Amino acid sequence: MALLKGVVCPFCGCLCDDLEVEVQDGKILSTRNACPVSRSKFLSHAEDRARPTVGGREVGMEEAVEEAARILREADFPLIYGLSSTESDAQRLAVRLAELTGASLDNTSSTCHGPTVLAAQECGAVKCTLGEVKNRADLVVFWGCNPAEAHIRHPVRYSLTPAGMYRQGKKERFSVHVDVRETRTSKMVNQFIKVEEGKDYELLSALRAALRGYEVKEAAGVPGEKVKELAERMKGCKFGIIFFGMGLTMSKGKNLNIDAALRLVRDLNDYTKFLIMPMRGHFNVSGANEVLTWLTGYPFAVNFSRGYPVYNPGEFSAVDLLYRGECDAALILASDPAAHFPARSVRHLASIPTIVIDPKVSLTTKLARVVIPSAIAGIECDGTAYRMDGVPLRLKKIVESPYLPDREILGRIIERVGA
Amino acid sequence: MEVILNTGRTVDQGVSMERGKTSPEYFEKVAVAFLHPEDAGAVGVGEGQAVRVTTEFGSVVVRCLLGNTERGTIFIPMGPWANSLTSPLTEGTGMPSLKGLKAKIAGAPGEKPTPLEELVKRWRGEVGSA
Repeated sequence: MALLKGVVCPFCGCLCDDLEVEVQDGKILSTRNACPVSRSKFLSHAEDRARPTVGGREVGMEEAVEEAARILREADFPLIYGLSSTESDAQRLAVRLAELTGASLDNTSSTCHGPTVLAAQECGAVKCTLGEVKNRADLVVFWGCNPAEAHIRHPVRYSLTPAGMYRQGKKERFSVHVDVRETRTSKMVNQFIKVEEGKDYELLSALRAALRGYEVKEAAGVPGEKVKELAERMKGCKFGIIFFGMGLTMSKGKNLNIDAALRLVRDLNDYTKFLIMPMRGHFNVSGANEVLTWLTGYPFAVNFSRGYPVYNPGEFSAVDLLYRGECDAALILASDPAAHFPARSVRHLASIPTIVIDPKVSLTTKLARVVIPSAIAGIECDGTAYRMDGVPLRLKKIVESPYLPDREILGRIIERVGA
Repeated sequence: MEVILNTGRTVDQGVSMERGKTSPEYFEKVAVAFLHPEDAGAVGVGEGQAVRVTTEFGSVVVRCLLGNTERGTIFIPMGPWANSLTSPLTEGTGMPSLKGLKAKIAGAPGEKPTPLEELVKRWRGEVGSA
């Protein structure tokens, strides 16, 4: 039996790198330091695996790859989507394939922190690493996010309870949760502030006003004195951080909510050190943004139909393309849009030849013309992934796999498309 | 009864998703709606009973779980049941509206949570989406 230490978890954007995994005879027996979701991912990795199929008929890998290449060669306007639950070499090859086929290329950030990217492109973002938060933060604000359910070890490893260089755990940090409802996260912090549905922008703007000394009587259901108290607390801390999530990006206002949050943090830096960080979901969605930006200049929603990259969220983003029924083929890599897109966008996916490269049976595989099973990055193959703060970490191969890594499958498709 | 619908992650959703989205556990943990007890009472639905949720984008029956939400709001874990109800309109951002949606809830006596197979049939256009 081998005990592998320093294993990086390939589930969420925390990329916890302190996991220990017991392996015997090529099987994972147990995990230590893993959250419940991570444990489930490691221990269930061999279950519910996809098989190579074409039109629902089980085939060999070569036939599945050949059919995928044929579909993409013959398509006028293919969509390549996903990328966020695989490693960065595969993401790089997805960009190459999009360029070769004149595809629209999008990653899952368009349905998580795409609005964050849009806002940051407008006004910039004051950023830092999670290590700096652990060592220095004395005020932590969770806004529109629920790490207790979605980033389970984030509070323990980085933001609330860990002892850092200059902060000795929770007693030296004040923590606030701002959200439309009380959740498990609310119970972990010093103060919960309930914001009315769809009024985050109003509260963020009121905080900016309060910082400048304007009187706020009430904002988004929050009494003026509470707004003033939070503004003063933010001004008075030594190192503050806002972690934010889908409560801001998915609700009314979308990128404008983030714009207000980024500008609040920029204002706060007139008084103290204050930072902001999106809580990234898929373990390498940050990497998808990084890789697309290196290679195309743009982080998501990129179209190659003119032979060069064109960026236009709303036009080339996957939910929009599918809802309008514009693409005539799709390759879905390491993502499950049938499970996580609005059903009205999923319908078009069911009506066009769709290729899915995924380790597991997913809901999108149920709609696919071609299914190509792959190795799970970070368990069955190595690679690089980017943590939510942009720090790249090396994923390990824990066990052997009969499946090919995504990068090898994409390489084979590229060979055939280019032939 | 009119409510506001929010969707998002839960620990149970994440754990069961990693077991497999076709697993009984995923169906049990994700085909649910969290209702405030007073709202549930107002539409005559108890813990574990069927509740129909409808938006302008679709309709599903899910299992009612009490608590974990404010009055006048419901929460459905992210997944195909939630996304039968969400808006594909992105207002030029690429981001669909997955939170803060207007919805209606009603008791669904005698009905069972919408099976995954039916959702797949809806996507394929083999049945209407209610």
